[in-house]
Amino acid sequence: MRTANPVSRWLAVVLLIALLASCAPPATPTQAPAQPVQTEAPAATEAPAATEAPAATEAPAATEPPSSAEVPRSKVFVYAHPTTFPDLNPATSYSNDLVVMANCYEGLTFYNPPGSAEILAPKLAVSWESNPETTEWTFKLRQGVKFHDGEPFNAEALKYSIEKTKELAVGAAYIWDPVQEIQVVDEYTVKFNLSYAAPLDLIASANYAAWIFSPKAYEEKGADWFNEGHCAGTGPYTIESYERGSRLVMGRFADYWGGWKEGQFEKVVFELIEDPVVLQQKIESGEADFTYQVAPDNLPALRNNPDLVVYSNPSFQNLVGLLNTVKPPLDNKLVRQALSYSFPYEQFIQGVMGERATQSYGPVPVGMWGQSKDVPQYHYDLEKAKSLLTEAGYPDGGFKLLMTFATGDQDEQQVGELWKAELAKLGIELEIQGLNWEAQWDLGKSDPQKAQDIFVMYWWPDLISPYSFLRSMFHSEDETLFNLAYYKNPQFDELIDQANEISGSDREKATQMFIEAQKMLVDDAVSLFFYDLANIHIARADVKGFVDNPAYPHVVFVYSLTR
Amino acid sequence: MQRWEYILKRLFLAIVVLFSVSLITFFIARVLPSDPAAAWVGPRPTQEQIAKATQTLGLDQPLYIQYWRYLTSLLHGDLGVSIKSRQPILTELKTYLPATLELVIASMIIGELIGIPLGVLSGAWKGGALDNFSRILAVACVSLPTFFLGLLLQLIFFARLKLLPISGRISNEIAINYPVTPITGFYTVDTLVAGNWPAFQDALLHLILPAITLAAFGLGLSIRMTRASIIETLNEKYILAARVAGLPRRTILFVLALKNAIMPTLNVVGLSFVYSLTGSILVEVIFSWPGLGQYLTNAVLSLDFPVIVSVTLIVTVFYVVVNLVLDLIQAAIDPRVALS
Repeated sequence: MRTANPVSRWLAVVLLIALLASCAPPATPTQAPAQPVQTEAPAATEAPAATEAPAATEAPAATEPPSSAEVPRSKVFVYAHPTTFPDLNPATSYSNDLVVMANCYEGLTFYNPPGSAEILAPKLAVSWESNPETTEWTFKLRQGVKFHDGEPFNAEALKYSIEKTKELAVGAAYIWDPVQEIQVVDEYTVKFNLSYAAPLDLIASANYAAWIFSPKAYEEKGADWFNEGHCAGTGPYTIESYERGSRLVMGRFADYWGGWKEGQFEKVVFELIEDPVVLQQKIESGEADFTYQVAPDNLPALRNNPDLVVYSNPSFQNLVGLLNTVKPPLDNKLVRQALSYSFPYEQFIQGVMGERATQSYGPVPVGMWGQSKDVPQYHYDLEKAKSLLTEAGYPDGGFKLLMTFATGDQDEQQVGELWKAELAKLGIELEIQGLNWEAQWDLGKSDPQKAQDIFVMYWWPDLISPYSFLRSMFHSEDETLFNLAYYKNPQFDELIDQANEISGSDREKATQMFIEAQKMLVDDAVSLFFYDLANIHIARADVKGFVDNPAYPHVVFVYSLTR
Repeated sequence: MQRWEYILKRLFLAIVVLFSVSLITFFIARVLPSDPAAAWVGPRPTQEQIAKATQTLGLDQPLYIQYWRYLTSLLHGDLGVSIKSRQPILTELKTYLPATLELVIASMIIGELIGIPLGVLSGAWKGGALDNFSRILAVACVSLPTFFLGLLLQLIFFARLKLLPISGRISNEIAINYPVTPITGFYTVDTLVAGNWPAFQDALLHLILPAITLAAFGLGLSIRMTRASIIETLNEKYILAARVAGLPRRTILFVLALKNAIMPTLNVVGLSFVYSLTGSILVEVIFSWPGLGQYLTNAVLSLDFPVIVSVTLIVTVFYVVVNLVLDLIQAAIDPRVALS
């Protein structure tokens, strides 16, 4: 009898579970509530004045208790996002969380999308000026702006935000490096004193580390509070709930200084989905309104779908292959030029990348200021490469090169494989090695004589300026960081440093100098400039007003959208 | 008293296992070529930032001191801070661990609830139609790759039939209109406790496909194990005696035979629980389930070593505890099993 007990207990547990599981079938009716949501949309167009209008006016007030009135699906913007958000702290965030940040927070200035008349637009600053040397900057701030926690935005708040970001010194905080002192002139005027000349108006438009947040919230609630899923910025939307690794919901900030108009979205949902197949299912079924990183092979089918729009625009990201300029045989400029002629750019872009890329003109990507078609491109020409090699003393090649790339990146790997076949024709053996980024970078930072010959990587700007590309990858360094070509050219250094200094006062001249510097790099064949990547986004056709701005990659400024 | 001695012995052993696992994973993770200080700062660290972070994280100390520091804070219940997100791992685990456990438990329920009875029935009517069906089912369950089964189910139940959701734990509409307040982190439980009926139904629907996908392996295993041992048990003399005595067939099968036959299956249940815990990695990625698997995948990809070590430790804890509990259950069912 005693021994029978556990069995009956076991069976009882099983029974209980069976009972619980039998609750599952009644759950199927959820399809029923799900359907009305879909039928509600037409209903809204049928009787917009009678039932929907009062609901719409109530909704902004109801941002606090969201469950009081159901928000119709048409008023919700769903962004199916392929990666998680590691850090929601505005002072340190330096990752994909940008897509959230840009709807929560604002900077002093805003970098306009390519093709605009002006590079910068006012945001939290209404106007700004500098002394001729660009070492002193004065910003006039927008009045009547409130943070999400009700605190006023003013000079003190601005000073706090930037000083806090600098103090933490994590993420992209280094963009404020030139700032020596921030003076509060009056409530809405701030003066920056710089330790060296820098384009502070551009710096203030940066996509990381330039967000202005409520000092009170940061002091009283601390960094962790932000990461629990809160924000305290001045932007149009504020975080309402956050399920880590899964979903982030934003609602309207009723007191937004820009005001609210008919047709704008009530809620923004970021749904985090890593699987590209699921991403595609979501956008096709209409469960999501916007996404990216769908398998490139499926893009033609998506283009043919009348419910979807595929946006293809330049990004500010490009692929480079930095050549080891201090280790033989690549220390010879002729050999480097030969390599530059040996890659089949057009064939690769047409065959592999399709609409996802265009061949680069030097290191500055298309669409950014300082990019110019005057910077020469290398073209695929094995004859030319062979004669250069002969001139350099390697008529039949006969040497071996090591190319490293980030493992898992299909495109980089294909670059390597295709190139390997071409180089073999010149008698050069290319070994391609995929490493995780840390290991690849570690090898790059070690002794250049023992390091790789070709370092393949993507670069994207932390500061929307040619200087971000030219300085980081090609300016001489005492200790290697990102100059993984180990390039040392004092003339080049001086040119770009000067261009950067004057880029705040005379952008025309700076542009010319940056172009000059790029021509130097191309002539020296310091790197292969494979291609500039395009950003491909897919949206539902009924979502209107999306403008892709590569300065804020993958960001949708939901405030400017309607359905 | 023998039982307590046994438990203490096992617990002591568990501590030794945990200690060695932490030691091994810590050193492996730290020996891999990576620069945690640079990762801590972000994608574009400057030299000054790296120097500062190296000091903050104590990475300038010798490795054994780093390990000692890690171990002492571990004993204080502090799992450390993620390199990638700079947040306490414990906070992050609070959301990821319950999500995985909910999925794993649901899959265990499905697997054993179907697997054991099916095994008993097909063992009892060996060679019958049900037996043939369940044998095919078992082979299919064990041999179908998880990612294939997951995609197949998504294709059928989401894309074609539009019956079940494709990913996540709850749908956006529910998240906005009927938000779930986490208490246990098990959404089905939390919504039930809060009386949030629409959200409960939604959470349950979201659980079905990933749970079935994850259950497949364990289901196949328990069908086969139960079937085999039922067949063996039914040949025992005491079963014949029970039949002669005229006991009802149901009692013979599910009480008398199953009690003896369930031992091997129980062993398998423990194994497949832990298997599911790690097997959930693939399932979670396919179904965008925000659990331990997804957390671990991202940590491995970015070499976030404190997270890797912590997750490994947690899986080990589960492994040790589940096996201990199963041993105790076995001993309770069958007194002949000696606890030694």
